[in-house]
Amino acid sequence: MSASHQVSEPADRAAAPPAARGGAGGTGQVGLASPLALLAPSFLVAALVILYPLWNIGVLATHDVDRFGQLGGYAGAANLMHVLEDPLFLPTLVRTVLWTLCVVAGAVVVSLPVALILDLDFAGRGLARMIVMLPWAVSVTMTAVVWRWALNGESGYANAVLQGLHIIGEPIVWLAEASTAFPVQILIGILVTVPFTVTLFLGGLASLPRDIYEAAEVDSATRFQAFYLLTLPLLRPFITMAVVLNVIYVFNSFPIIWVLTQGGPANSTDILVTYLYKLAFRFGRLGDAAALSLVMFAILFAFTLVYVRLASRARSA
Amino acid sequence: MSAASRANYRRRSLLCWLALSPLVAITLFPFAVMLATALKPAAEILTPRAEWFGSRFAFENFATMWSATNFGSALVNSLAVSCGATLFALILAVPAAYALSRHDFRGSSLYRQFLLVTQMLSPIVLVVGLFRLLVSLGVVDSLSAVTLVYAAFNVAFCVWMLQSYFASIPRELEEAAWLDGASRFTTITRIFLPLAAPALTVTAIFTFIQAWNEFVLALTLLRREENYTLTIQVFSLVAGRYTIEWHHVMAATFAATVPVAILFAWLQRYFVQGLALGAVK
Repeated sequence: MSASHQVSEPADRAAAPPAARGGAGGTGQVGLASPLALLAPSFLVAALVILYPLWNIGVLATHDVDRFGQLGGYAGAANLMHVLEDPLFLPTLVRTVLWTLCVVAGAVVVSLPVALILDLDFAGRGLARMIVMLPWAVSVTMTAVVWRWALNGESGYANAVLQGLHIIGEPIVWLAEASTAFPVQILIGILVTVPFTVTLFLGGLASLPRDIYEAAEVDSATRFQAFYLLTLPLLRPFITMAVVLNVIYVFNSFPIIWVLTQGGPANSTDILVTYLYKLAFRFGRLGDAAALSLVMFAILFAFTLVYVRLASRARSA
Repeated sequence: MSAASRANYRRRSLLCWLALSPLVAITLFPFAVMLATALKPAAEILTPRAEWFGSRFAFENFATMWSATNFGSALVNSLAVSCGATLFALILAVPAAYALSRHDFRGSSLYRQFLLVTQMLSPIVLVVGLFRLLVSLGVVDSLSAVTLVYAAFNVAFCVWMLQSYFASIPRELEEAAWLDGASRFTTITRIFLPLAAPALTVTAIFTFIQAWNEFVLALTLLRREENYTLTIQVFSLVAGRYTIEWHHVMAATFAATVPVAILFAWLQRYFVQGLALGAVK
């Protein structure tokens, strides 16, 4: 017992001479025993690559910046006001909310029944799981490139299949206007979000205690009751997790929109991430782009806080 | 199994597949499009109504694609960046995950929160700052810089996955080794890491796939075509071009995605549970 105590203490207190533990490389032992030393490398690298750029964005957002990135004087909230007063900002924000809401809701609504089915024992379940998971392995960029070709107005396979099934009569030029492009982008977004969501739900289903279902059967609960009264409440933390992680992920999702339409035609399918990219790397408005980054981070942060608060309140109620 | 329950099982299997069929169809559709287009002769691509089969299988598309699209160098770049990022992320994450799973200390919850925040700060929100960081370090358009950035963005996930698995490895095995006089370092390399090998493999493969598929950072941080990874090489074949050689593009996407998809499909059952538990804990 004393041995395990000794090693689980921070290094400065577990200062027993290395020889007492009879190991080789005494100084290495103390170094390895210190948890902070073990965390330090990952912290330093993540801080350099993630926290430093964040700080840098903060500086850019509050200063005049020319298109080559040279810092000018302090500008306060001027960049932020540029962004908020830009006539493109509000429609883009609304579209981002719509995009995130539709993709996440769609993915959860599709994934729940799919996970319930894949949790059953049936012939070919392994194959079915594999197929459902498949889009996850493929780069979203590649998927989007393939869909861009499939949605080609003249020679695309989407039109060919839909015409073959007599769902549409004339070929549709899907990506030519937002009214058809954006719904299709949402659909593709749902498709690539399903595998991860199903995975979360399958993990949740696997963790459910089996005996409560036997008890429910003894109490002659119907299958629907068992689902509604047992499975759904028990899956709730997993559904919460799926919503939170997917909202963060989908809100930040860039390739589908960028590859299919680059936010066009005339910015009509832009979401905040593509708009941010254009501000920074097309229009050279680095200060405005930095301010927009902060706005986006604030939105995500607020969402996470509110959701976590709501979820924990619901759990304690 | 009685005849009745076997019939029941058969009926259930049929119903399950029937219910899954729309999703299965739409999931496999892009793969069918890729393969069908990649194998059609170039002259038969832009026809008014797309046919699944051309007049013959044009396997030479893959060979002409290879030279026309600079596929080889992009493949090498993608492999180098993904392997490097995976290795580096694990080197950083293993000690951290070990500390979190084996020690109770004051900084641990703070560190966990730090991980969560880094997860929320996606590459795209940070891209302006990252670009400037690399400019100030003089390493724009450098594959090693991109490798480092990928590793850093995957550290949080790796630590998360690994620490939940590490926590399930019984401490007693390590303690027994210490009592036998093994040093902490020997204990970790000889006892602990072999036991953790499955989790390390799954985490490594997941990180590899993330890096392999990454798009927006490569798009902004890499400039010259000789440094392009596969995702942006393929993207550059369709972006801002008036004539797109779709048979080459589909051959390239097929060649770039199918090996990874097979690897992933083979391994997905191993981490379905690990990921879900790691995420909720």
